[in-house]
This record gives sequence, C-alpha cells and structure tokens, in this order.
Amino acid sequence: MPSVSNSHKSGDIAVSVRDLSLTYTTAIDRKPTLKSRAKSLGRGTKQTRVVNALSHVNLDVEYGHVLGVIGANGAGKSTMMRVIAGILPPTEGRVEVFGKVSTLLALGVGFNPAMSGRKNVYLGGLAAGMSRGEIDDHFEEIADFSELGDAIDAPMRTYSSGMYARLAFSVAATTRPDILIVDEALSTGDAKFKEKSLNRMKELRGDDRALILVSHAMLTLRDICNDVAWIHKGKLVKRGNPDEVIDAYQEFLQVGKSAAIDEDV
Amino acid sequence: MWSRRTFIAEYSKSELQEQHFDSIFGQLWLILNPLLLSGVYYLLIVIIRGSSDSTRYAHLTASLFLFYLIANSLSSGVKSVTTGQKLILNTAFPRMMLPISAVVVAVTKFLPTLGVFLVIRTLIGLPVTWQMLWAIPVLLITILLALGLAIAISCINVYFRDIASFLPYLTRTLLYLSPILYEASTMIPKVRKFEVFNPLFPILDSWSRTMVHGQAPAMSSVLQALAWAIGIFLFGTYFFLSREREFAVRL
Ligand SMILES: Nc1ncnc2c1ncn2[C@@H]1O[C@H](COP(=O)(O)OP(=O)(O)O)[C@@H](O)[C@H]1O
Ligand SMILES: [Mg+2]
Repeated sequence: MPSVSNSHKSGDIAVSVRDLSLTYTTAIDRKPTLKSRAKSLGRGTKQTRVVNALSHVNLDVEYGHVLGVIGANGAGKSTMMRVIAGILPPTEGRVEVFGKVSTLLALGVGFNPAMSGRKNVYLGGLAAGMSRGEIDDHFEEIADFSELGDAIDAPMRTYSSGMYARLAFSVAATTRPDILIVDEALSTGDAKFKEKSLNRMKELRGDDRALILVSHAMLTLRDICNDVAWIHKGKLVKRGNPDEVIDAYQEFLQVGKSAAIDEDV
Repeated sequence: MWSRRTFIAEYSKSELQEQHFDSIFGQLWLILNPLLLSGVYYLLIVIIRGSSDSTRYAHLTASLFLFYLIANSLSSGVKSVTTGQKLILNTAFPRMMLPISAVVVAVTKFLPTLGVFLVIRTLIGLPVTWQMLWAIPVLLITILLALGLAIAISCINVYFRDIASFLPYLTRTLLYLSPILYEASTMIPKVRKFEVFNPLFPILDSWSRTMVHGQAPAMSSVLQALAWAIGIFLFGTYFFLSREREFAVRL
C-alpha cells in the first residue's frame, strides 16, 4: 500500500485563518450578459449583488486534531473550506496553510459527468497537480476503498449521490493529504460506508494529520472531533469543546423552532 | 504550466472523445466537414466570378482550413472557463489550462485537414519547394494567435455570457474580411490598406503564398503577423491572469 508519510507533529498549526472575510459578486439576473449590461447602461442601475459569505473569521486547526464545522445551510461553511483549499482568494484577511490540502470535493469528483469514474479520478488528480504515476499508485486502493466494482468504469452521470460520495471520499482519503477537508459528503453514504470512512478518519487523525469535517451529523461530530466551530451567517459564533458547542447550537435551533411555532400561533 | 501538460493533454483527449472524434466516423467527419465547406465556397466563387481554376481551389482550401483552426479555438475556447465551473470551484489549479486545452483540441482537429490539403496540392500538381518550410513558423504564429484569442475570449465570457452567441457573427465577418474567398494580391490597394487592422490578414496571406504557391512569404507580412500574435497573446494572458482569481466568486 503506497503511503505518503506525514512530516508534521501533533499540535503544530495546520491552518491559520486570520480575520477572514469573503464576498461573492453575483449578477442580479441569472447571468451577466452584454445585452443586460447595454440595457442597464442607459438606466445606470447596478449590475451586481454582493453577498458577504464570511466576515472576520478567526480559526486555527492543529495537526492530529479533527475540527468539526456546523451551521445552517448558507452559513458559509463551504465557502470557508474553499478559501482554505486555496480555491477562493480571501477578500480580506489571511489564510495560512502549512501542508498539502485535499478537499473531498477537490479531486476528480463529478468533474465531468459524461466520463467514467476512473477518468474523473485521473483528470481531477492531474488538475490538482498529481503526476500520472502518483495516481496510478493510488488508483487500485481508491477503487477498492470505494467498493464501486465495475461501476468505476461507468459514466459518472449514472452514479447515485451515495456512489459519488464514496468515490470522492476514497480519493481524498487514500491520497493521504496533510490536511483533509470533508464537506458534507458523508451524509449520503450508507451506514456501512459511513462506518468505514469514520474509521479511516480516525486513522488519519492518529497519523497526526489534520481533518476538517463539515457535517450535520451531530453524533458523529461528538464522537470524532476534538473541536467544533459553529458558523452562523458568515460569523464564527462559538468554537471549542464539541459537546458544549453542539449543545449550544442545538439549543439555538430549538429556540429558533419554538419562536417559529409561536409566530404560527 | 509546463508541469501540467499531462492534464492539458488528457483533458483535450477527453474533450475529443466526448465529441466522438476517437471513432472512425468522427475522424472521417473531421476531414469531410472542411472539405464539403471548401466545395461549397468554391461553387460560390465559380458562380460569382463565372470561372475559376485549380490553384484558386487550393488557395481556398488551404486558407479555409487554417481559418478553421482559429475559428475552432475561439468557439471551444469561449466556454472553456464557464463550463469548467465545477473544476474551478473545487480545485486550485492554473485556470489557463482550460482555454489552452481548447486550442490543443482545435490544433488536433486541424492536423488531419493539413494532410488532406497536401494530398490535394499533390493531385493538382502545385510546385514543391524549400520555401514551403515557411509554413512551420507561420503555423506557429497562428497557434500563438489562437491561444491569445482563446484565453482572452474565455475570460470575457465570464463577464458577458452572451459573447458565445455573438461569436458566429464575428467569425463570419473575419472569414469575409480575410483573404480566403479571394487572394490578397487581387485586392484593390485602397481596400487593402485597411487590412492592417485584421490580425488574420498577414497570416493567411503568408500561409497561401508558402503552401499554395511555394514562395517565401513577404517578410513584412510575417513580421506583421508575429506582432499581432504576440500582442494578442500578451494582452490575453495578462487580462486572464489579472482576472483569474475572481473567476471562482463569479461563476
Ligand atoms: N458561487 C457563489 N456565488 C454567489 N454566492 C454564493 C456562491 N456560493 C455560495 N454563495 C452564497 O454564500 C453564502 C454561503 O454559502 P455556503 O458557503 O455554500 O454555505 P454552507 O456551505 O454553509 O451551506 C450563501 O448565502 C450562498 O448563497
Ligand atoms: Mg455547503
């Protein structure tokens, strides 16, 4: 089994996020076009809507630790993962990464649905800067771990979301990055695969790698994380002991719910 | 960028496969399509001018095939960034590999047509000379120009998504303004003066002179073509690189 060794010690800083803000600029109507630009030129209306997806977030991730990230949909979790992975440049603030990051989304996944799982793994890997030889070395293990069997050579558009997730996780976990980011991808897998991936994550944690796990599965997070960060509307609300943060989050959700119920009444 | 060439090669290959150019019929179509086109345009010339000859047909095919190298680079380059959205949102990699792959695809499609042209010119019995080696630098200049155009237009398309639908009009206009359906030497000098604004003009003129007539192209044409290509390439890459960081938040 090819294994990339890890040169980082437990407790070393893996990711340091300082005062991070990120704004998306999107067109007001679905797509920016020359036509709409020409039309609005006369009226002088603004073309774009600005979304503050993250504002002034500070966060550290240490090697040998698992950080859980929780928060409602649209809170900015995926955005933060993309900034850490170097895909989105921060609008403000700094992100320092000490090591090689792999996002679960990053490698090959669903990159081209017309092509087979195998092709997607290769293309994704090459795009992420791996060499063909490196991918060759890992491919068997990826295919084994994903348990996709012959489906690995079927076009990815024929995959179920669970199969997608399997392949994605297998790629991310077998290439053994220093820092592994898993963004809500385990939720679609079946129980057996979930268990298997949890074990793999614990293994990586034991191997002094850093993991960031975005999930809505609170039990899993309580089980595996050393730390949990709660993000709400682009702000870091609370970070610390998993039980404490998750309890606070769930309490907040309950309050939200009952307020909504009150409103109905 | 050079270290990522395997990605570019692999990505272009899969693009071609997706367009079924890995099958026999796909490859046949690759040759048949430009041949049929040149046949149609030849008919047009015969009808308009009343007469024509084989050299004119050779000029038409050679120029048209090279023109399609540029037109294909533009048409597959324009959407290369916007269709690569999923990859861009999930992987940190040099984005310029996407339009570059589009040009690699266009060049791959061009090569068999070059073979077809060589067969045609042999059948017609056009002279074979050492001057024809000029075709190599001219082709390289064309590829550089195609790269610059594809890189620039893929970036523009992020901001104006309807550029792709204007593109056919642009290429059509370029086709008529360039010495393809006619030869540069037959143009009225007054009109020809304006061709300094057409980046394709010196390229196609040089190409026809070396490939069809077996002569050395005019040095001024080659230099003009090179200047255009370098200028557009530098502009395109600068524009792209300065905007690249913004793509992920704009897609
Ligand atoms: N590509 C994008 N363009 C514009 N806005 C976006 C984009 N991606 C996410 N957003 C916005 O940013 C905010 C945070 O989104 P995201 O990070 O995906 O949240 P989460 O992963 O926590 O559900 C949301 O308001 C969302 O609408
Ligand atoms: Mg998300």
